[in-house]
Amino acid sequence: MFLSAKIGKGYVVTCAMISAMLIVVILCFLAANSWQAFSQVGLGLFGWTWNPPKGQFGMLPMIYGSLAVTVIALGIAFPLGIATAVFTSEMLSATVRVYAKSFLELLAGIPSIVYGLMGVAFLSVFVQDVFVLLSGRTILTGGILLSIMILPTVITLCDDAMHHIPMSYREAARGLGLYKYEVVKDVVLPAAKMDILGALLLALGRVLGETMAVMLVIGSLDKIPTPFWNVLAPGQTITSKLGREMAEAAFGSLHFEAMIAMALILLFFVLTLTVVSLTYFYNPEGRLYE
Amino acid sequence: MRVWTLLILCSILGIGCSKREAVMVSGSSTVLPIVSKAADRFRMQHTDMNVVVNAGGSGVGIKQVGEGKIDIGMASRALTPLEHEKYRAVHLNVRTLALDAVVPAVSSEVYDAGVKHLTLAQIGQIYKGEIDNWKEVGGPDREILVIDKEKARGTRHVFMALVLGDKEAEAPGADLVLGSNNEEQTAIVQSNAAIGMLSHAWLNAGVKGLAIDVNGNVIQPTRENIENGTFPITRGLFVITRGEPVGVTKLFVDYLLGAEGQTIVEASGYVSVR
Amino acid sequence: MNRRLWNMFFVLGVWLAVAMCGVGLVSLIGVIAWYGVGAINLDFLLTGSQNFGADGGIFYQILGSVLLIVGAGVICFPLALGTAIFKSEYLANAKMQRLCAVLVYGLNGVPSIVFGIFGLVFFVNILDTGISWFVGSVILAMMILPTVVLASFQAMNSIPVIFRESAYALGLNKWQVIVRVLVPQSIGGTVTGLLLGLARAVGETAPIMFVATAFSGVSTPGSLLEPVTALPTHILALAQQATDVHALQNGWGASFVLICLVMMLGALGLMSRLQLKGAR
Repeated sequence: MFLSAKIGKGYVVTCAMISAMLIVVILCFLAANSWQAFSQVGLGLFGWTWNPPKGQFGMLPMIYGSLAVTVIALGIAFPLGIATAVFTSEMLSATVRVYAKSFLELLAGIPSIVYGLMGVAFLSVFVQDVFVLLSGRTILTGGILLSIMILPTVITLCDDAMHHIPMSYREAARGLGLYKYEVVKDVVLPAAKMDILGALLLALGRVLGETMAVMLVIGSLDKIPTPFWNVLAPGQTITSKLGREMAEAAFGSLHFEAMIAMALILLFFVLTLTVVSLTYFYNPEGRLYE
Repeated sequence: MRVWTLLILCSILGIGCSKREAVMVSGSSTVLPIVSKAADRFRMQHTDMNVVVNAGGSGVGIKQVGEGKIDIGMASRALTPLEHEKYRAVHLNVRTLALDAVVPAVSSEVYDAGVKHLTLAQIGQIYKGEIDNWKEVGGPDREILVIDKEKARGTRHVFMALVLGDKEAEAPGADLVLGSNNEEQTAIVQSNAAIGMLSHAWLNAGVKGLAIDVNGNVIQPTRENIENGTFPITRGLFVITRGEPVGVTKLFVDYLLGAEGQTIVEASGYVSVR
Repeated sequence: MNRRLWNMFFVLGVWLAVAMCGVGLVSLIGVIAWYGVGAINLDFLLTGSQNFGADGGIFYQILGSVLLIVGAGVICFPLALGTAIFKSEYLANAKMQRLCAVLVYGLNGVPSIVFGIFGLVFFVNILDTGISWFVGSVILAMMILPTVVLASFQAMNSIPVIFRESAYALGLNKWQVIVRVLVPQSIGGTVTGLLLGLARAVGETAPIMFVATAFSGVSTPGSLLEPVTALPTHILALAQQATDVHALQNGWGASFVLICLVMMLGALGLMSRLQLKGAR
């Protein structure tokens, strides 16, 4: 009897150690395998050109692409998402809201590769026709595709944020004779502000790390467009670069290490986001969305 | 729930007992259709053996066979001196499986509008960005969508060595960078002003191959011209093993190079070496 | 300005947004269902793929996807359960709780492609395991671990104190309380978390494309160390030839089947969650 308690404790401690150390192990291995790149290429990693055969490993085009895609995706998804969440949370009856939310959960479960297929088959052709472009594989296409992809999650999270606000707030505001618009603007949104910000951070992390959908539609050109706000040009994100080129680099070569360095930088970005959101928006009862 | 998991696990372990000998193949997406079709037939004839085929590009194939991660590498270009040097110790055995041409391929709209052949110099200028409208080479007044390939792709090595004089040349005129032949073919079909580099076997109604103008002689990318080597961008497709192949690997290589394998080569749109 | 006018603008704006989202998202599902159902028949589900996936079916892709997540589930379940028990029952220190949360949430935030790259570096290159079913399952298990740990932890944490107190009063020691009372009471939460995690894992491409899947020639893997083939990577190959009518059609079919798998797992998860609520 006593022995089983000891074994049991050993088991749970081991499990906990493994789980806790996983992230540390990932970080260490990525760091160890990109060390050469950092020490030999150094600041050259933040150059403008990426051309491994000539020893050029500038990642600025990829970093730019990731940021551009993120700004576009969030810029589209958040206004739309918040407005739709106002609708589901403030205007829909409780029964319909449940159906709407299940539908959204269903949509949030669609794998990203399916969005990629849609992007190649429809969206890139659509963008090409609408903007009369040479090719529909552009940064904008990637951004739009990602915005559609995170929209269900954004709506769900914003809806939760608003719905958690006690009914009495709204009733009091209505009692003062405020219009719906004023109730939402002056009461609901300010009260839900923190949770909506948390949703923003979560969506940000997800967009930055998304690979498959972007990789298929962005054009994979390692170049910052000129002028730089011309998002109708092809580009490259960190993730699409990794997805396309990782398998081509020989293990241990400078090229391989530079790719790992890029993955490490991406991971660093995302982990910072996680720590920030834990510090400011930690909700011990919260569910883990993707 | 746990009972279910246990049941599934047991059935998997049951499967695990019937182990087959497997040959791992990886590399060029140009060679892939031949090998994957051949593998399908090979498996039907030898049910106790398995051939697993993966894509990734010639560079990947050579690298992995050199490192011993796979049994057979597929390549659509010869080994570079650097690769020779690197894998000298393991003695890579390279066999020619088929002949192929890398053809400058354009959207059918461009072809129908009158661009039927270009000189290598013109293609070079297009990839350098010095020519960026089809009207400069006798086509419609439309900007050119220049499609480049990922740097480790064999097709790109062969193409760039002839067109720009350096297999790893930069192509500043490129608008898109894509990977496999399939992906490139898709992009060319989706556009009405694209040029790309494709294996002869990928040409179809939506993707037309251009003839190449060599000192006034217009050479079409036809079977004959590939076979006798007059088409300028002709290449071999190779299968690579570490040393002499043995066992199942030898069986499969022999199958590829034998009568049946070469029939598949022809059926896939390439030129047989026999 | 007129308040009523502002309000009208606001309502109009909201309706506009809803219309856009609604049309967009409903047509999304519509398109997949329309093309997907059209592509599916019994042959498609029960034969292997041929000719780059443009011909034939997706039987082995379905099998491979199922094998990958079964493996992931088998690896993840004990690990997550143990971690949750430790976090809930042994870890009293608030600071350590917090550190633990940071590490678990941190793992949850790791982009899926980074898992794939870690697998490539650690398993395929350093441990030299080769591209295999086993590595794919381990990587997917790592990816869903935070979800399962958290669901399990919350279920365990919400067991009323009275349960524990009564169990101790009967003279059970800590481990006996855990095994006899806490685990049976919270197992539903773990299973729910696991199913929801697997629903996510089954659709992932980036973590497995370097470490677990091969392009063709994979039927039933003969052992854990052989590569498999999976639905998401198959769709990736098909998406790259999207102008080929047959390939695209098979792509929609495979997408539809994949979404059905995700939904099935999700629905099972939901059912176990509801059952859990019913039991209380």
